[in-house]
Amino acid sequence: MKKRLNGFLTLLLVLVVQIGFAQEKTVSGTVLDEDGLPLPGVNVIVKGTSNGAQTDFDGNYDIDVEVGNVMVFSYVGFASQEITVGSSDVYNVTMAVDAGALEEVVVTGYVTQKKSDVTGSLVEVSEEKLSEYAAASVDQALQGNVAGLTVSNSSGTPGSVANIRIRGISSITAGNEPLYVIDGVPVNNGNVSASTATSTISALAAIDQSTIESITVLKDASATAQYGARGANGVILITTKGGKYGTTKFNFTSQVGFQNDAIDQPTPLTNAQRLELAAEAYVNDGLAATEAEAEDLITSSGLFAQWDEAGRPESNWQQVLSNDDALYQQYSLSASGGGEDNRFFASLGYLQQEATVIGSEFERISGSLNFSKDFNPSLKFSSNNTASHSFQDAFLERSAYFASPRTAIYFMNPLRQPYNEDGTPAQVGGALPNPLIITRDDFSENRFTRIISGNSLDWNIGGGFKAGTKFNVDFQLYNYRTYGNRNYGYGVPVSGEASQYDRTTAFYVFQNYLEYDFEINPDHVFDLKVLQEYQANRSYFLGGDGNNFADDGLFFLTSAGTPTGVTSSFSDWYMGAYLGLFQYSAFDSKFVLNLSYRKEGNSRFSRDNRWGDFYSVGGALNLHKFDFLSSAGAIDYLKLRSSYGKTGNANIGLNNYQSLFTYGVDYNGEGAQVVDTFGNEDLSWEINKTLDVGLEFGLFQNTLTGSATYFRRNSEDLLLDVPLSQTTGFGEQTQNIGELVNQGFEFELNANIVNTNDVSLSIGGNLATVENEVTKLPLDPNGIERTITTTIDRIETGHPVREYYMPTWAGVNPETGLNEYYVNGVDGETTTNFNDAEAVFQGGNAIPTVTAGMNLNFSFKGFFVNAQGYYAGGHKIYEGWHRYLNQTNVYPLFFYNGYGAMMDRWQQPGDNARYSRATTSGEPWQRHSKYLYDADFLRLRTVTIGYDIPSAAMEQIGMTSARIFIRGNNLATWVKDDNLLYDPEQDLGGETGLETPPTKAVLVGVNLTF
Amino acid sequence: MKKYIYRGLVMAFAVAISSCTTEDLEPTLAQSKSVEESVNKVDNLFSILKGIHSILSTSGYYGQDVIITNEVRSDNAFSNGGSGRYTTESQYVYNNNSDLIWNNAYEVIANTNIIINADVESLEGDVDYGRHIQGQATAIRALAHFDLLREYGQQHTGNGNLGVPIVTEYKGEDLFPARNTIDEVKAAIYSDLETAFSMMDAQYDNTNVYISKYAAKALESRVAVYFGDWSRAVSAAEEVINSGLYSIVPADNFVSSWTTDGGPNIIFELAASQVDNAGINGLAYIYQINDDGSGYGDVTATSELLGIYEASDVRLGVISTDGDFIRNVGKYPDNVNFTDNIPLIRYEEVVLNYAEALLETGGDALTELNKLPANRGASLYTEATKENIILERRKELAFEGFRYDDQLRVGMDMEARGTDGGVIEVINYPSYLFAWPIPLSEMNANSNMVQNDGY
Repeated sequence: MKKRLNGFLTLLLVLVVQIGFAQEKTVSGTVLDEDGLPLPGVNVIVKGTSNGAQTDFDGNYDIDVEVGNVMVFSYVGFASQEITVGSSDVYNVTMAVDAGALEEVVVTGYVTQKKSDVTGSLVEVSEEKLSEYAAASVDQALQGNVAGLTVSNSSGTPGSVANIRIRGISSITAGNEPLYVIDGVPVNNGNVSASTATSTISALAAIDQSTIESITVLKDASATAQYGARGANGVILITTKGGKYGTTKFNFTSQVGFQNDAIDQPTPLTNAQRLELAAEAYVNDGLAATEAEAEDLITSSGLFAQWDEAGRPESNWQQVLSNDDALYQQYSLSASGGGEDNRFFASLGYLQQEATVIGSEFERISGSLNFSKDFNPSLKFSSNNTASHSFQDAFLERSAYFASPRTAIYFMNPLRQPYNEDGTPAQVGGALPNPLIITRDDFSENRFTRIISGNSLDWNIGGGFKAGTKFNVDFQLYNYRTYGNRNYGYGVPVSGEASQYDRTTAFYVFQNYLEYDFEINPDHVFDLKVLQEYQANRSYFLGGDGNNFADDGLFFLTSAGTPTGVTSSFSDWYMGAYLGLFQYSAFDSKFVLNLSYRKEGNSRFSRDNRWGDFYSVGGALNLHKFDFLSSAGAIDYLKLRSSYGKTGNANIGLNNYQSLFTYGVDYNGEGAQVVDTFGNEDLSWEINKTLDVGLEFGLFQNTLTGSATYFRRNSEDLLLDVPLSQTTGFGEQTQNIGELVNQGFEFELNANIVNTNDVSLSIGGNLATVENEVTKLPLDPNGIERTITTTIDRIETGHPVREYYMPTWAGVNPETGLNEYYVNGVDGETTTNFNDAEAVFQGGNAIPTVTAGMNLNFSFKGFFVNAQGYYAGGHKIYEGWHRYLNQTNVYPLFFYNGYGAMMDRWQQPGDNARYSRATTSGEPWQRHSKYLYDADFLRLRTVTIGYDIPSAAMEQIGMTSARIFIRGNNLATWVKDDNLLYDPEQDLGGETGLETPPTKAVLVGVNLTF
Repeated sequence: MKKYIYRGLVMAFAVAISSCTTEDLEPTLAQSKSVEESVNKVDNLFSILKGIHSILSTSGYYGQDVIITNEVRSDNAFSNGGSGRYTTESQYVYNNNSDLIWNNAYEVIANTNIIINADVESLEGDVDYGRHIQGQATAIRALAHFDLLREYGQQHTGNGNLGVPIVTEYKGEDLFPARNTIDEVKAAIYSDLETAFSMMDAQYDNTNVYISKYAAKALESRVAVYFGDWSRAVSAAEEVINSGLYSIVPADNFVSSWTTDGGPNIIFELAASQVDNAGINGLAYIYQINDDGSGYGDVTATSELLGIYEASDVRLGVISTDGDFIRNVGKYPDNVNFTDNIPLIRYEEVVLNYAEALLETGGDALTELNKLPANRGASLYTEATKENIILERRKELAFEGFRYDDQLRVGMDMEARGTDGGVIEVINYPSYLFAWPIPLSEMNANSNMVQNDGY
């Protein structure tokens, strides 16, 4: 820290030195545009120096110069002008719009480049596109907008984490999450929840999406190698809004609507159906001779008897526990503007989103202030600050917890009624408490405060030199509290139970850079940048739990009679890097060469292996700039680009390289220790080598634009948790071993079919394929490959990572009504003994191999329609919990409840049924291909219909513009496999769970500027 | 121009001096310490020993799995599947997907080896006490090997002589060991137990929540009975009995002895408390259902078990017949705060070991055997027979995980039971099902490992 302070002080010192250069006289003037309107904020710089000024609101400037100096007037979008100072003291300037200067610039990481100078594969998603999908966390809006990027929500619960994969998965046990960068600075994202049982909460959900200008996704090595180790899985650059010169503009947006489950969730059995199946089970198992006799027997005792006496009512827990038409509301008010030497953007935002299940919601209030100040024309300071407080009413959804309303929909014995006759929630007995009471009287709440402050100082030294420094802090305060009440449910035996956990995380990033732009002549332009970066992440955790409360309404531990636990811990990691970037652009970007080199050190590795070297080489050929093509009128833009580079991945647990004792155990009231980590001093970076070749084009005055890209990413020295013989006392050791390959094609095509003043129509789409294969795994001393196998999947060379692997279901035998499996796993002989059936690869894993996005934009006068669809296919999904909910055995029929689909069961010899004969026994877990489904789906992600009120009308009421719209998200879904009862859009874990499913929403909104 | 180059150089200098070094990237070890550098004191050995006991008390070991998987496979109990737990074992349909105790037992062994192989002379502190701790660790290493052998060894499978790998070094040379034979493992267990007994000094044994000198001997009597090494069983049991440290808990106190820790009959038990317990993954929760509905309560007793007790037998006091199922509510009774210690070696077992060994070696078994019913409000036996002794063991040790081994070592056929307690299938002795499969994860990681037949 001290060293970095030194650096900063040195910088300041240099600045002081700079003050005091001589001047001769002061000149002034007014800068106007071609329409004669004053232009505020025009940069006026004395060529070859850092001496400069800016025009004020009225376009006026004054500047100290010497006679003979050349003043350069520059303004974004206008052609620069140079004027040599003579004897006059007044120089008025009219600036012309420069078509060439309007060439798109894109943020590519540590630098901003002209579109033609980009040699990598990246996609920019505009604010407009991002705003079309209503969600607490902005990353969910990327689905379908970026070829090769997939978003998998861990849950539909508002605020929860989405897993993003860019171009497949590159690592087996290290992380596959992309790096998030906000305004040039890496930030931490992911799940902040301290509980593995309750809903996840995404750090990104703390960011108000209406403050985001755009998101750029970097996919290839040329773009990501700049980020070294953290860029291996792609980089998501978030650029927040800034201010512009001019009077302050206010913008107000709101969206209000309601949400429901995107597709109908499985329907539970009714009590009548359940009795029918139960009676059949009795007969099948020989407990009764006829079904009538069985029904009498079943309804003679227990819950069935009570239900029978009550007149056999249905309970419909599904409806009771669903929150139909869950509210979504989002408001944001922003102001932006700027003076002569400053710009600002300020915003306030509020979002509230309910889950489609009772007792869960997300709420966020946020504010931001982006401010920049030009201390003088060559020294700029900017500070981007955002703070937010989020609240998530979480619930136990990450397994089948009985207290969860989502679990209860299927697990609650439907013979129990949700309400008493007087309308109050029934205190049903048994192991499953009534969620109506639990969600009312118990809680598990996440509170998350996040403050990000990014401050930078950029100094245009002159002579092509620029230098700057940046300091960013991402401060996260997390609080998690739970309470189980004294009167009903799990808190009863201990007279109420409560817990509280707090985590404080401070993540600092320091960057210093020096840039040198120079040209040998205008045909050979160079840009050199060196950058030094240091990141430090420190996290403190404190929490405790207790029970035995004297009265209701007491939720804090100080009132707990019996403290039952206390915990605190600290963790940290550090990263240091040196980066060199070099760009050479020849003959007006006909040829472009980009080089990057990064040396990076990470605390996750031992001292000797701490530093790694990463690089990239990228080249582009802008064919449209060659005469032979620019004269052929149809081609406006044609670029061939290619890049190759090496990136790393260090996304593994902390301190894995050391052989460690953990002291997190205790015995007999005393602290204790056990060995915890096997350790591996040789541990170092996981390496990705990515080749990317692409063609970008714009035809017929850019009415048809698109690109085609091929990529191949070889991942080597995988940071793999290599399975050890457990006789060592350890299950695995992290080693650099194993290889896998991802390769595929990506296509984008956009057509502006009609583009007149009144009517415009454009359609576009993207398509991406990715093929994943494990090519090398560790061997044991006998040369045998050490595969990694679970009950549903396996990691083995020649197959995609975690390809599904299990016995193959051969159907229900029409004669016996029993499930049968293929003995060899493929065909031929069948068996009813599950353990005799061989497990085989089932083809495909949980990652889509083909994804596609389609969009349509149409406008007529002020009316517009935007729509976007998303397709994912080639992957599979396994149904979790089927043992309890989707097998005709004792669990759904007698203990819990199951799906109505089971009515398609075998009843008598000759039946061809999907479900086996009903039985009163409880079958053990047997996972096989019956419950593995094709997960292909097509979804209408967004449809927006709106109207822009003519500005003339708005101006009459003192406003600039107004837009009203109605929007639908996920309104329609097509699912390939009819037997898949759950939403196919699932977490990457590969198994369906009892989390909240994705939602569909209908919203109305307005967007006012004044 | 020079001016700017100069300024550029100054900035480059500023960047350079603010750079970071390898030391700036050194992570903090806040909760952990290096294994190589952190065993310096006798106290460190004790701390590891406590850690080992902690692993023993987790639900993946004695906290639930070892005891429950054995009970549900015996004729004492079955899984009613209330929460879906232990039906696989109860129905004898397990496959190699479960680690069961394999990983936990070897984790225990790894930690014991750190203690055993430490150079105790070089440590700070009371070296004699250090040797005692090494003895304790040696005894636990024997216990873990015995647990592995009885669960994974081929002694009841009808063919094969494979036991489990014997591991005596932490991160030793052979990280991919093959299986040793049953006899080799047995010999290693006896050797460890003898060494342990000689290394330990009873003056350091002031609590029974740690393994102790006489616990090692008691354990030896258990292993000897399991393998039918009767004279060893006699002498080991006699050592314990003659120590005079323990006594059978009397009839009046039998039920209450389960609610109190450290009774006179406890040779070795694992500590639990309100803040340190297996919680809902522990023994009470799997046996019981509370009035408010909490509790998994999957594991319930067979009606046959209920039938073996006389009405006056105090041991009926731990069994509840309220509700749909017959339940153990008296052993490990605390289903709210889960504070009950888990007895692993009770004196009563040693007396029964002794009685059986005397019977097999021609001694006065009846006197020893009758010490049990005499203290349980039950009728005395008129004759000591193998059947009587096995029956008395079943009565005394029900729900504690002994019955499965007792049935197998006398060659009884076993019964797979469905969720209603009915017998689905009789599994004739011997059978491959009487040895767990070596976990698939082990098979995949170590090609020197030989799988048990049938899996």
